[in-house]
Amino acid sequence: MSSSNPKDIFVLVKQVPDQGSKAGLNPDGTIDRARAKRMLNPFDRYALQAALHTKKAYGGRVTCISMGPPPAVEVLLEALEHGVDRGVLLSDKRLAASDTLATAYALYKTILYCGHFDLIFCGLQTTDGDTAQVGPQLAERLNLPQVTYCEDFSLEGDKVKARRIIEGGCQHIISDMPILITVANSYHPLEYKSFRGTWKVQWLQRHPEDLKKVITTVDLDTVGADPEKCGLKGSPTIVAHTEKVGEIGGNCKMFEGQAISDMVVNIIEKSNVKEYLKIS
Amino acid sequence: MTDKEIKNSNTSQNTQNTESALPIHETPRGNVMVIAEQILGELQPVTLELLGAGRLLTDKLGTKLVCLLLGHNMAETTKKLIQYGADIVYVADHPELHTYRTLPFRRVVCDFLESLSEPPHVTLLGSTTTGRDLAPRIAAHFETGLTADCTELDIGPYEHKSKIDPSKLGLYPDCLYAIRPSFGESLKARILGPWKNPQMATTRPGVMIPLRADPNRQGEIITVPVNLKPEDFRLNVAETVREIASALKLTEADVIISGGFGLGTPEGFALLRELASCFPNSAIGASRKVVDLGWIPYEHQVGQTGKTVRPKLYIACGISGAIQHRVGMSKSSTIIAINKDPDAPIFKFAHYGIVGDVYQIIPEMIKQLKCVEKEQGEKTIVHSH
Ligand SMILES: Cc1cc2nc3c(=O)[nH]c(=O)nc-3n(C[C@H](O)[C@H](O)[C@H](O)COP(=O)(O)OP(=O)(O)OC[C@H]3O[C@@H](n4cnc5c(N)ncnc54)[C@H](O)[C@@H]3O)c2cc1C
Repeated sequence: MSSSNPKDIFVLVKQVPDQGSKAGLNPDGTIDRARAKRMLNPFDRYALQAALHTKKAYGGRVTCISMGPPPAVEVLLEALEHGVDRGVLLSDKRLAASDTLATAYALYKTILYCGHFDLIFCGLQTTDGDTAQVGPQLAERLNLPQVTYCEDFSLEGDKVKARRIIEGGCQHIISDMPILITVANSYHPLEYKSFRGTWKVQWLQRHPEDLKKVITTVDLDTVGADPEKCGLKGSPTIVAHTEKVGEIGGNCKMFEGQAISDMVVNIIEKSNVKEYLKIS
Repeated sequence: MTDKEIKNSNTSQNTQNTESALPIHETPRGNVMVIAEQILGELQPVTLELLGAGRLLTDKLGTKLVCLLLGHNMAETTKKLIQYGADIVYVADHPELHTYRTLPFRRVVCDFLESLSEPPHVTLLGSTTTGRDLAPRIAAHFETGLTADCTELDIGPYEHKSKIDPSKLGLYPDCLYAIRPSFGESLKARILGPWKNPQMATTRPGVMIPLRADPNRQGEIITVPVNLKPEDFRLNVAETVREIASALKLTEADVIISGGFGLGTPEGFALLRELASCFPNSAIGASRKVVDLGWIPYEHQVGQTGKTVRPKLYIACGISGAIQHRVGMSKSSTIIAINKDPDAPIFKFAHYGIVGDVYQIIPEMIKQLKCVEKEQGEKTIVHSH
């Protein structure tokens, strides 16, 4: 059965600014990426879990791919700690200001450079862009079938069975491979870092020459991408204008740190809860 | 917009007004196209909202509002689309288009767009699980710009001054302004892509306003050829499950007590029911996470893929406040959140928040509310004498 063939599994991750921390916010509310704390895009944790689960259940090799400035190597190291086999970082100044179309193009070239694959997992969306577009745009470039909003999947023979979210229900899908899957945040959360992975990363950090073999950094020339299709030039959209709208709502009256009964007294007094009570 | 108006808006942006030699990129004004969305033949409300928004854009452009409908046996729907504002409905009717699948749908849409002598000026889809699946495929195919999840749309001029790509320099009179929240809703960004048509956007369900249906509106219906290829069937849908919600009074309740993963166990809902029993016209809501876990049936789910509710009072217990939950309940008159994490996103849009454990707070709330009820009851009796 071909299901016993080990799979070539790619997973795409992105480093994003940590929006939980106020550090690195410009006065106008935009993010100063140089100063902001960085983290693995939370949605990508589900994609990583899907990739690692596939390897564990069906055998294979996991390649983690990212695009970003040099510090983005941190998320690849984190992925190694969780158990991926190798990392590829596409890093090039000419990629600055890429929109989703340009990003999908650059990743498409990188994926072709990385070789054979059966499954590509992406996070649902990023917390700094929120578009959920790069996955399907990449699938279009690669001429692949796709499952977006995937909540669960299994491999059966040379087919993928998957369940995707739709409004008011779900779809059960059967597809050929290769395929691109964007993983919803209702999929299983990422498991803890593996002992072996953590150990391996510590060892690699002491052996930079070996680290370079496990995490390769490539640029547009290496992957054969046309610089005209990347960065600002390759992006059909621009952000023309931003406006601070303040925190929506933003004036939540908080009760915190007091005795439970006091907080409840307060909230009942201050809010209009009483208006809707049953009169017994 | 006339040339004079364009110059005016140009000068108002450019105080010195010395660079009047900027080239003007007059692209022909094309139609506005809405791609309709149906699930198993049932037209989705977002399509009517898109027609409402599209009508405003069309009137500014002075062109036509067209709608592309893919499905099978959709005659009734076609009429409805015209009543809600479409000038032309293009219908791709084929048994294989009854259920949404990415590849056959993208094939028909791409073939159709390629067959037009002039691409639409603007193409709109809903930010639904279908729209967000299909729109990026089409945008990537035509290498055109796409803005996701818009909350406002408009048409207006734009002056491009960046010299990075000199060929783009100049004034664009009729751009799609795709306006969307960004960075966790703290910013509103206006995104443009005037260099190429169609300029594409998806809009958030429930935001745009449909026109009132006009049974006398006239429109044209044109059949679109469907030529699917074997490779379009690499992926198939074995089953589309729609959980038809019973006539639960969730959408009519004055008070909704809603539970999330923070309840820890399905038994937590018993406590919520007890709280709900304090209010005469109340119902139990839930986050998707706990519905998925089987803690409570789907008909209780509030949010993007559940129900949209707007009760007078919404009490969220152990719900983090993910955007998909929020879109279903943010219009509630009063929102009270109980969550043990002071940084939970729900506190960003709730009106009142208590930081603490649901299992300590709710029993106390029930206790106090029962006392208040008694007091009020006694008062009423006293007054009635
Ligand atoms: C396409 C798509 C559609 C979706 N549609 C919907 C939808 O319609 N509706 C919906 O709700 N979600 C939807 N989701 C899922 C959504 O993104 C969130 O995952 C979900 O809403 C989270 O549910 P939750 O708040 O119950 O759980 P969590 O996010 O896990 O939050 C639990 C919260 O409980 C708090 N907590 C834990 N213990 C306690 C305690 N003892 N006392 C008090 N607080 C406690 C925690 O601090 C946390 O904030 C959708 C997602 C996708 C991708």
